[in-house]
Amino acid sequence: MNVNMEKSAYENFKDISQDEHIAPGTALCSGCGGLLALRLALKVLGENVVIVNAAGCFTLLSVYPFNPFRSSWMYTAMACAPAGAQGIRDALDILIKKGKVKKEDDLKVVVLTGDGTANDIGLQATSAVLQRNLDFYYLCYDNEAYSNTGFQMSSATPFGSKTNTSVPGGVNPGGTAQKKKDLFEIWRAHKPPYMATIAPSHPVDLSNKFKKAAQFKGPKLFITFAPCPSGWSFDDSKSVEISKLAVQTGIWPLKEAICGELSHTVIPKFKPVETYLVAQERYDHLFHPVKQVDVIRVIKEDIDHYWQPYLGVEPLQDQS
Amino acid sequence: MKRIRFHGRGGQGMKTASRIVGTASFLEGYIAQDCPVYGAERRGAPIQAYTRVSKNPILERGVIVHPDITIIADETLLDDRTANVFQGVYGGTITMINTHYSSAHVRERFGISGKIVTLDMTDIVLTQIGKPVLSSVAAASASKLTGMVTRQSLKEAIVRELFSVDIPKEVVKKNVEAALICFDRTPDIHIDHSEPMKEDNTFVKLEYSGPYLGTPSTYARGNTVLKKTGNWRLFKPVIDHERCSRCRACFVHCPHSCISLDTAGYPRIDYENCKGCLICLEECPKKVILKKREVREW
Ligand SMILES: Cc1ncc(C[n+]2csc(CCOP(=O)(O)OP(=O)(O)O)c2C)c(N)n1
Ligand code: SF4
Ligand code: SF4
Ligand code: SF4
Repeated sequence: MNVNMEKSAYENFKDISQDEHIAPGTALCSGCGGLLALRLALKVLGENVVIVNAAGCFTLLSVYPFNPFRSSWMYTAMACAPAGAQGIRDALDILIKKGKVKKEDDLKVVVLTGDGTANDIGLQATSAVLQRNLDFYYLCYDNEAYSNTGFQMSSATPFGSKTNTSVPGGVNPGGTAQKKKDLFEIWRAHKPPYMATIAPSHPVDLSNKFKKAAQFKGPKLFITFAPCPSGWSFDDSKSVEISKLAVQTGIWPLKEAICGELSHTVIPKFKPVETYLVAQERYDHLFHPVKQVDVIRVIKEDIDHYWQPYLGVEPLQDQS
Repeated sequence: MKRIRFHGRGGQGMKTASRIVGTASFLEGYIAQDCPVYGAERRGAPIQAYTRVSKNPILERGVIVHPDITIIADETLLDDRTANVFQGVYGGTITMINTHYSSAHVRERFGISGKIVTLDMTDIVLTQIGKPVLSSVAAASASKLTGMVTRQSLKEAIVRELFSVDIPKEVVKKNVEAALICFDRTPDIHIDHSEPMKEDNTFVKLEYSGPYLGTPSTYARGNTVLKKTGNWRLFKPVIDHERCSRCRACFVHCPHSCISLDTAGYPRIDYENCKGCLICLEECPKKVILKKREVREW
């Protein structure tokens, strides 16, 4: 398999910048995993950034008259953050051409959305800008539901988990019956110059990916794992721990694709996925009052189906 | 009619508290109405919830401006202008605050009218339930203060409401125990007003203004520091700098940008804004960050 082994720009925590681009005091939940990923990403992107943020939890970062950013930020409706980014990019290009904005004052345009926006209502606007090869970044924080409005199921909600619109019981004891949409593969089909998945528990991997993306012109797309203490029901202190478990069990692959060419940046240890599931109350129904072996088996098989083409044929997760 | 207003922070359970009181009163044969109000903010932000209980049909709706009973489940809201916890408190209000301070201290500090009751509910839930969820205990105190709800109906209402949101049996049991302790420790005082406050029904009419005026713009950089979210904290992370190896794990993983490094490379916590998530404590490989229960002075 193709594992990325070239020497990296970031090697350890000492390489991570001490500059903060999001001030403390935001309205986001204590322990928000997505916020940590954004904070780390902005440390690499720097200050010359304009964020285009579609409605969701992160639009509460800036609530009038408060603003945590050192850079610019604009709010858009759910469906149209990429269209907003197109407008800003075009405006900047024209102003630079006319000499009204200096080239060194140019801004990186960054779309920031939740998974609901990215997978559902904002998908076609994204597809359109990918096809137009817009020069921008997209950071989707995947908290696997519509969190801001009370944790309803999105098409990124994982099979077997509980949301407030896929409550386990009756005909659906397993909770969410649908499988998580593979947004990475949908985006990859457009063959953008750079795309990657990241996780807040892997700050060095995350930083290297943003650093690497900077050399490409065109769409640079990121999906971050975003542990959500309120929606997934776990203690605020466990966000990073749960993110580590997601990577180590193989349920959240860390990868990148350059012009559609895929490689993994971390090979998981394939810890039993139960260690990940039991850490969150949104999977409680799979273990209490009786263990739902069938549902858990499907989750394991899906991890195997994902990894086997890259790693071989042996089952990676104990299927018992 | 009794009007009860709950104040807490998102995640503490005030919405459920208002429902439990509604259900308990309903079980006693009263007509009840309950609803929460929260702005577009997340866990930790100030929220309110209302319960109205009456012998007769309730025609009133919406915000309770003049409460007969106010439950302030989080003492850090007392000084928070946006939470406005004493709004509309009058001679007939019983104000109940979750704090270790006495009611005399509250009276001296805030000079509010009506009666004041205090009880350290957080202490009770931490011992009985092990988690800072205040829904059942806040409901218990409110129920007692109405003088309309018995222990039995309270118990039944807690079981019903918590089961309906899938709380496991053991946890429901602990909630009932904690609630009954609170019920018993809440004094049996009532104010029976022959003339209850009338809610005013004035409407604020907002004129249309164009997008240049109507769209808010903020030009300040990073002014959320002024929000001082340090008062969200229940436990405080404290670094033992003597044993710290300066590995930076805590600094790197704080989601809220509350850890910086001093010139010698030691981590320093911004307590004015640290929300107390304790990710730093979890991630410290040396285990040299300790947690301390916040006991606030005011
Ligand atoms: C077109 C439209 N429909 C519905 C809403 C209401 N709304 C605001 S935020 C939100 C949830 C967004 O979910 P997601 O993109 O997953 O972000 P999260 O809330 O998880 O941060 C919804 C439905 C809206 N703003 N616009
Ligand atoms: S609900 Fe989840 S994603 Fe939204 S701010 Fe809270 S922790 Fe973050
Ligand atoms: S408790 Fe949370 S917010 Fe406070 S310093 Fe530690 S990681 Fe940061
Ligand atoms: S994680 Fe622990 S050892 Fe490392 S810098 Fe922070 S306090 Fe020191």
